[in-house]
Amino acid sequence: MTRNLEKLKICQRCILPETFPGITFDDQGVCNHCRREEKRAARAPGKKADYRHRLDDLIAEVRDQAPCYDAIMAYSGGKDSSYTMKLLKERYGLRILALTFDNHFISPASLENIARLTDQLDIDHLNFTIPWPVARDLFSCTATRDIFPAPTLLRASAICTACIGIVKSLVLKTALEMSIPLVAFGWSPGQAPIQSAIMKTNPTLTAKNQQAMKNAYPPELSRRLERYLIPAVYYDRYADRFPCNIHPLAFFDYDEEAIKKELEATGWRAPEDTDTNSSNCLLNAFANQCHLERHGFHPYVWEIANMVRQGVMDRDEGIEKIYTDQNANMVDYAREKLEL
Amino acid sequence: MSLSTTDIKAKIRDFIVENFLFGSADELADDTSFLDGGIIDSTGVLELVEFLEEEFSVTIDDEELIPENLDSINCVTAFLEKKL
Repeated sequence: MTRNLEKLKICQRCILPETFPGITFDDQGVCNHCRREEKRAARAPGKKADYRHRLDDLIAEVRDQAPCYDAIMAYSGGKDSSYTMKLLKERYGLRILALTFDNHFISPASLENIARLTDQLDIDHLNFTIPWPVARDLFSCTATRDIFPAPTLLRASAICTACIGIVKSLVLKTALEMSIPLVAFGWSPGQAPIQSAIMKTNPTLTAKNQQAMKNAYPPELSRRLERYLIPAVYYDRYADRFPCNIHPLAFFDYDEEAIKKELEATGWRAPEDTDTNSSNCLLNAFANQCHLERHGFHPYVWEIANMVRQGVMDRDEGIEKIYTDQNANMVDYAREKLEL
Repeated sequence: MSLSTTDIKAKIRDFIVENFLFGSADELADDTSFLDGGIIDSTGVLELVEFLEEEFSVTIDDEELIPENLDSINCVTAFLEKKL
């Protein structure tokens, strides 16, 4: 069931709503972000080709140089990280270590996908689970309190921000410990821009970023989360091991249906137990609902609007993803599990 | 033609507001920390660097990617003025 769009003005070209902070519309009902994108669109094809060359060069430089693995994949089991991992394995022949952060809400179908794909691609896999009381308190806190700065919440819900923050820390920490030169993410083209698609990480910026994350949480929770972050001694000890982050979907062709079809040929199955914006997480619908209630716009709307604008997603499909009510059963499932 | 400090600040501000605050400039003072304020993360810094390299025709080395150079409009402006 879609919410009543007649009462909500949305951009005639993408899908951003009038409730999105800072948005303006011109007399044709097109938002300022779409108008700005017109200037960039002409340069996009050349830029994508340039980034593919840059990745080719980077991989030629680092492949087979590290002791065990060329890349660590932040692997959720969803379609984007599954496809990214497949691409890196099959196109580049990388030695990959996949790391999954089990947040206690990964769907059973997704866990099967993870096992199936890592087996099929001959990829080693680490499953990292934090104790349930820590996960419960982390997600309860982010669901009920405004702990992150407002700009952070323009791109993702507070719950997703907390979860992804731990994922980023865990993969970087593991890369440093195991001397892995590449950290791969499956960000969709709407989630992260091409400009950051190949990025050398850096000790001082990482330290500052981690400190900002620690400061966001209440002190007791921050203390319990500390062991998942980068230990202070690592910044000097492993200063020469800071890896390159890559998210190739920003510059490879992206078509959701084609990706699903290609993955399904490996035995991966699109989960039927997740919401429309996730192919792995049973917490996502609740996270979206909390964000909608507190901020008045869907936490995925920026990502999906970008994809519509870039032409990698049909506008009607985008509207369906964003303006469909959250599945009440899934929202209740997470709320009850979190004891809220 | 050399750019004034005011011009440089304005260009940086416009970029941050458009790309990270999506047009909403209420919380951005010249000395607001991008990282502490949740405005950009360590990944977003690279987007900023690419913009600076293109817009101001400078080259920024990996060792210059430190908060002292890139963590606020004032920091970036001072850093750029040294390079221009």
